[in-house]
Amino acid sequence: MSILLTEEQELIGQSARDFAKEYLDPIVVDMDHTGQYPAAVVKALAEHDFLGLFLQGEYGGAEAGYVSLVEAIENLARSSAAVASIVINHSLAAYAIQRWGAASQKKDYLPALAAGSTLGGFAVFEHGPTPGVGASALQATRVPEGWALKGTKAYVRNAGVAGLYVVLACTDPAAGAKSLAAFIVSAKASGLTVGPLAETMGLKGCPVADLVFDNVILAESALLGGIADGNAIVTETLALASVAEAAQTVGIGQAAVEHAAAYAKTRVQFGRPIASLQAIQTLLAEVATDCHLARLGLRVAAQLLDQGEPFQVEAAMVKQFLARFGSKLLIDTVQVEGGFGYSEFMPLPRLFRDIAGTTLLEAPADYPEKTIAAALLA
Amino acid sequence: MPKILVCYKWVLNEQDIKIRPEDLSLDASRAKGKISDFDRNAIEEATLIVEQQGGTVDALSYGTPAVRQSIKDVLSRGPNRLLWIGDPKAEEADALVIAKVLAAAIRKSDPYDLILCGEGSSDMFYQQIPARLAALLELPCLTFVARMTLEGRTLMAQRKPGDCTEMVSVTGPAVVSVLSEINKPRIPSLKQVLGAAKKPSEEIALDSLGLAAGDLTPKAVRKSPKGFLMNRKNVVFKESDAAANVAKLVASLKAEGLH
Repeated sequence: MSILLTEEQELIGQSARDFAKEYLDPIVVDMDHTGQYPAAVVKALAEHDFLGLFLQGEYGGAEAGYVSLVEAIENLARSSAAVASIVINHSLAAYAIQRWGAASQKKDYLPALAAGSTLGGFAVFEHGPTPGVGASALQATRVPEGWALKGTKAYVRNAGVAGLYVVLACTDPAAGAKSLAAFIVSAKASGLTVGPLAETMGLKGCPVADLVFDNVILAESALLGGIADGNAIVTETLALASVAEAAQTVGIGQAAVEHAAAYAKTRVQFGRPIASLQAIQTLLAEVATDCHLARLGLRVAAQLLDQGEPFQVEAAMVKQFLARFGSKLLIDTVQVEGGFGYSEFMPLPRLFRDIAGTTLLEAPADYPEKTIAAALLA
Repeated sequence: MPKILVCYKWVLNEQDIKIRPEDLSLDASRAKGKISDFDRNAIEEATLIVEQQGGTVDALSYGTPAVRQSIKDVLSRGPNRLLWIGDPKAEEADALVIAKVLAAAIRKSDPYDLILCGEGSSDMFYQQIPARLAALLELPCLTFVARMTLEGRTLMAQRKPGDCTEMVSVTGPAVVSVLSEINKPRIPSLKQVLGAAKKPSEEIALDSLGLAAGDLTPKAVRKSPKGFLMNRKNVVFKESDAAANVAKLVASLKAEGLH
């Protein structure tokens, strides 16, 4: 295992950075103000293969691997964490289908996901407890046609713009959320409606809403993996989410560090740039170090994934680390920029709100410690 | 269908180069390489022509052994094949030496219908290579090209050598240098990045080109490149009367020679 990137991985990171400068920088402020979904940008992402980045070549994917995925996510997130969120949640659905799908399901769904003609969404959360715990608000029951889904999934990203969702539903009310199964559900399925878009603190432009299932009838072929595979699908796919969101958090952090460093070199106080003050240098050095170490950690997790090795514990570690350091990083960089940095015309408030989202979403903050402890104490 | 050669230089990314404040010397120890900016336009223009008309694009570069790092980058941007010469002597080469090496490599290849270059390199910006190359190859040379179309063997080009334009046509092989406004270089897709490894690239040994030692000896020798730092004067006018402040500012600017 090498922590250094291959030439292709570096070039993919550079392509993502160039893409972000050309397509994301011009719209990011407006998107933050309006929350408008960036449809044209998503189309361009598809044209540059970012939506099929790790999918297999036989389905039209670029087959670039997961280290490349996190490189791309970080470099997109340096400009727009919201767009990175759209890519991440699409990727979760694509990952689940590639990992657990039957040959016919892969053939039916992956080419459109790889080409970006269909956007994916991963619907796992509910208004109640963490997935796999307690009751489940979405029930899947056997019917002659296959399955009927009734209930609600909450906080679904890419809701309303995705063409298909991978949806986790409970198949045994007595067992509750421990009996999760995954289904591939078309956005056009009869009885499926998208709730009002949620007003969120950050990551504006990546739509979030509930999915309401009013007796949505699915064929047996919609079941992803076996009926008992749902919890494994949740655990592993959310582990991928942890790694991808760690890259997103590092991307936001890197943007904040670079902005604060540039500001410190030009802001003059007491007759000299504040960058010459040791207190400022210390703050910047600490946050740059945190970014660097987090990047190494998440690359290791992505490399394990590339090699087909277990990666959930390493994914949990980067998630846990970034849940703490992400917010601190923004507090420290705002501190460097002082009153200016606190102003909405500067980028740090947006980055602050975005990083709160990346450290809270997909895998809740209390989740990673359990995974790490379980591995330590087994 | 046209057979096009595009020349490019692998340069240090100027954004990674730091200026040491104590003596203004340059610290490039952490600088990464990149394809010189104008050369990206040349690569893009060649690629656009063959995408529309068919044909092939070869890329050619002479540089230090670090030019090897450019292989996948340049091939991901469209060229079908890369020829490169990586030799430590390139570190000291001046524009004449570079042009001689490129011309010798071109003479060893099958003839090209068109040779494209960027207007100047991002690092030295000598703007000499296209003209010198054309002279060595005894080909016509069109510089400052802002727009061009190729029909058969005839090239129609709009030159922009300053604040005027002119249309020029040339038939047969020519060396053309392009401005950045001629196009917008593409961002390679991920499949293009990954596909670059499958394209042929051929290293040419410098000593296989038949050049004499004198041809490789630079006449123009660079000495101690230095950075330029602009220091603020930190003058603040603090009169309570805004008009008085403006008057003082104007007087100050005049005193600095800004009339």
